[in-house]
Amino acid sequence: MARIEVKSEITGTVWQLKSKPGDKVESGDTLIVIESMKMEIPVITEDAGEVKEILVKEKDPVAEGQVVAVLEG
Amino acid sequence: MASETLLAEYEARRAKALAGGGADKYAKRTAKGILNARERITKLVDGDSFIESGLFGTSAVEPHLADETQTDGKIAGYAKIGGRDVAIVVNDFTVKGASTSYTNGRKVGHMKRTATERGMPLVCLGESTGARLPDAMGGYGMGMLLGNDNTQFRRTRETPMVAAAFGPSFGSSTWMMCISDFAVMHKGATVAVSSPGLVSMALGQKVTAEELGGWRLHSDITGLIDQAVDTEEEVFEAIQKFLSYMPSHHNEAPPDAPVPAGSGTDMDKVFGMLPESRTQVYDMKRIIRCVVDKDTMFELKPRFGKSAVTTLARLGGKSVGIVANNPLHRGGSLDADACRKIVDFLVLCDSFNVPVVLLVDTPGFQIGTEAEKAGAPGRIMNFMNAMTLLTVPHLSVIIRKSYGRAYVCMGGGRHSDDIAAWPSAEISFMSPEFATKIVHGVAFGEPGYEEKLKDIEKGADVWGLASVYAAQAVIRPQETRDYLIRMLDVYKLRISKGVGQHLMRTWPTSY
Repeated sequence: MARIEVKSEITGTVWQLKSKPGDKVESGDTLIVIESMKMEIPVITEDAGEVKEILVKEKDPVAEGQVVAVLEG
Repeated sequence: MASETLLAEYEARRAKALAGGGADKYAKRTAKGILNARERITKLVDGDSFIESGLFGTSAVEPHLADETQTDGKIAGYAKIGGRDVAIVVNDFTVKGASTSYTNGRKVGHMKRTATERGMPLVCLGESTGARLPDAMGGYGMGMLLGNDNTQFRRTRETPMVAAAFGPSFGSSTWMMCISDFAVMHKGATVAVSSPGLVSMALGQKVTAEELGGWRLHSDITGLIDQAVDTEEEVFEAIQKFLSYMPSHHNEAPPDAPVPAGSGTDMDKVFGMLPESRTQVYDMKRIIRCVVDKDTMFELKPRFGKSAVTTLARLGGKSVGIVANNPLHRGGSLDADACRKIVDFLVLCDSFNVPVVLLVDTPGFQIGTEAEKAGAPGRIMNFMNAMTLLTVPHLSVIIRKSYGRAYVCMGGGRHSDDIAAWPSAEISFMSPEFATKIVHGVAFGEPGYEEKLKDIEKGADVWGLASVYAAQAVIRPQETRDYLIRMLDVYKLRISKGVGQHLMRTWPTSY
């Protein structure tokens, strides 16, 4: 089992958490939604796996490239 | 000498040359599931169309090693792909690691010159260790081997050039990947200036081949390759498919293809692919697949600069290059990587007479410290410049947002031959929410915001653009495919028989 880090591709603010530790996710699933440039930008996982950690909470600022979730897959 | 003797010697020499680095080395590769050079040729080209040039070449630097240097490690010749002539160079790693030396350098040079002067694509299948040692050592070696052909790395884009990387592809194979119009990597190959071994010796840095030059690095970060695929067979399929969209040379239009059955059948669903809320995102690739001829989408650099999509495709059987924003990533805002990718693609399309269609939904160029650190303004101006130098027919369709300078770069004003817009289009200098704060000094949540926002939003719909003829048409979304096919015909280059002016033919191959 590999540890997979999921990053935000854009700077913004956490708007919604769409997953929680223990969730099984598939490639293409949205884990978190970031509000940036007045749009809802999804943080999408490329890999399938189990969510181990969500490293942010709603309204947290996030930077481009910041790890926001960790999966095991 | 009797003719039988001469022929016997010929056959013996031929058999030895065809044996390359020897049956044992070939068998070891086969056992590992790695194709040998001549097997790669068979899978790449049409039937038995390959005719070799330089089968009897061997090392000129060390003639006593002739037996160990069959073909001098690079197999060259002519063949047909999809019924059309190509020149090919295929490295044979079993011969001195397909390292570059005098004789094989002459072979590669001749293939490139012939392809360029006679109007054939050049295809290079790489797997190489770099310059041959000790051949290239010292002043004598350098003087003999390096730089004696100043057209070796010249790109003036007369013919499409394709490169593939298998296994270790250091030195020449890496250079070929970088100067090609289409570079495809077999996952597991390494594209890098030098090997992990030399890096370790010179820098004391321990690094794996994958970290140094693996497919993820080049797909996601450097953008130096166009596609990475899982199997060797997929490499050959990708090359064949890429060439099917291209003319053989820059003085002809790309070939037409039959329109596949089922093309355009989902157009009545296309408007439903947009989310109802303008703050929500969607995958532009679904719209592209719907609009173009069925199964003709052939995307380049899909993992690099993902807020833009650059894909070859066909519309009504004719090659087109699609440049689209993809709101699924960054909301469609264009960062430095996306700009680089688009410019690369515009240069390809303009050089080889492929008309361009721009599908627009962007809130603008990416702003913020990361964008500025990446040199975004310079990349944006490269994009702007490329759009002013584009001489193939180019049409723009505004699907949703088109803001600011990105409006112009994505074909706004007279940067397209024709602009059509969907009724959902909104065009302005910036997002109305930000403009409300700048113009009226009120932000979201403050008294009077909603009223002032409505005022700002008034002119941002499609009708303002249409009223001043900055959009030539407002179309029903389901008519987009038919409209584009018709307009590509209207704007075709009749006078030059489909051939553009190639003003970007000397644009750098990566930058």
